[in-house]
Amino acid sequence: MKSKYYSLILVLITLISFNLYGSASDQVTAEPDDYETTKIDDEIYDPIEPINRAIFSFNNAADKIILEPIAKGYKKLPSPLQSGISNFLSNLRTPLVVVNQLLQGQGENAVQSSGRFVLNSTIGIFGLIDVAEKVGLEEKEEDFGQTLATWGIGDGFYLVLPLFGPSNLRDTTGMVMTMMTDPINAYALSEGEAWFVPMRTAANAVDQRSKIIDEVNALRDNSVDYYAAVRSSYYQNRKAAINNIDDSELTPLPLISIEFD
Amino acid sequence: MKNTFLCIFFTFFLNINLAFGDDSADWLKEEIDKILISYQNVDLPNENRFLMIEQTINNNFAGTGIAKFVAGEAWNKASKDTKKEYVKNFKRHLALNIASMMQGYSNQKYQLSESKIDKKNKIILIDMEIFSETGSLVVTWRVKKSKDRFFVIDLIVADISLVVTKRSEFNSMLKNVDYNLSKFNEILFNQNNESYQKIIN
Repeated sequence: MKSKYYSLILVLITLISFNLYGSASDQVTAEPDDYETTKIDDEIYDPIEPINRAIFSFNNAADKIILEPIAKGYKKLPSPLQSGISNFLSNLRTPLVVVNQLLQGQGENAVQSSGRFVLNSTIGIFGLIDVAEKVGLEEKEEDFGQTLATWGIGDGFYLVLPLFGPSNLRDTTGMVMTMMTDPINAYALSEGEAWFVPMRTAANAVDQRSKIIDEVNALRDNSVDYYAAVRSSYYQNRKAAINNIDDSELTPLPLISIEFD
Repeated sequence: MKNTFLCIFFTFFLNINLAFGDDSADWLKEEIDKILISYQNVDLPNENRFLMIEQTINNNFAGTGIAKFVAGEAWNKASKDTKKEYVKNFKRHLALNIASMMQGYSNQKYQLSESKIDKKNKIILIDMEIFSETGSLVVTWRVKKSKDRFFVIDLIVADISLVVTKRSEFNSMLKNVDYNLSKFNEILFNQNNESYQKIIN
């Protein structure tokens, strides 16, 4: 009861402050032409856009019918269990992360990631607990797409892959290289346990999707062109991953000026 | 529990070191608090909650500047009335986007982890870490000072700029209507109505 009363007072104060702010902003005079833009690449090379859009619609439907409900169910699991699954899957990716870090000349990161793998696979019980994070060995993701980009290979054109989603020619090549060289998958296949590969892929998809349920819904529900929004988001996210630079420094900076009504 | 959360929230916000960043972080803290309070009050109807968010955003985001930037080349061709209508639609669109992102809010803890000044572009970058039971997410606020007031000019979530994404998205749709802002206004208006229904229901 007391906390409800407290909240009500805060809401009232807030509503009053809105009015004060509102009148303050109205009194400021306008400054015409006080605006400029940076030259941000608005156009992403997408020569097969009609085909991509068709696949995107299929993926979107599959996401709504299958992946999102499963991801929402997964989110209802106890959080230690979710973290355990997520850590386990992440640990399985680490050997290839190390390979890619070495291919990109990131010796120090490769040593750290190797340390993570050894610690988490042993003390962390097959990767279920991320003990390495607790001793300062941070997780860093690298894949073949990023390695190819570091070697100077361009994006190629934008591609939407059935079920796998947004990509481009270079990152698709990277994905195929990952599938062909993953030591864990290779071991499972050599042992006659082929079921493990699609099961692992599906588990990864559910785990990743569960982390962005609200963000995806916000984008889907509020976009005038959801396809273009996802395409742009994909490119921004990949650029940041490739350059390994702080997001706020890397993302193109819109030079937006302040104008008053 | 709610009070404890607010106390933690306030304490974290006080740990910003830079003088310029200090002011902006305090200001940002207050504005975020306003939005959070509306979500903590479970008795508040969705319409009122959205109204609070919309007013906070209208007062603190550089809405007109962002709207112009996002419209790109279509802006210059449009008439004064069309521009005015577009800015109005865009501001609502922005509020709906933020409100939609907040839909999954369930008393997560926040921490303002870093505040930096980009001297070249004269903007302040404030990193906010949002914690959930299974991990954390960093949101970067890009803030600009004008006439002794702070304004948010962009929001970056997981390396993705809201403004850059909107520009790309709008550009794709504007291309379909020959960069006619008046026709685009109709699309944006309809989209806003659709989004609004989802927010309030």
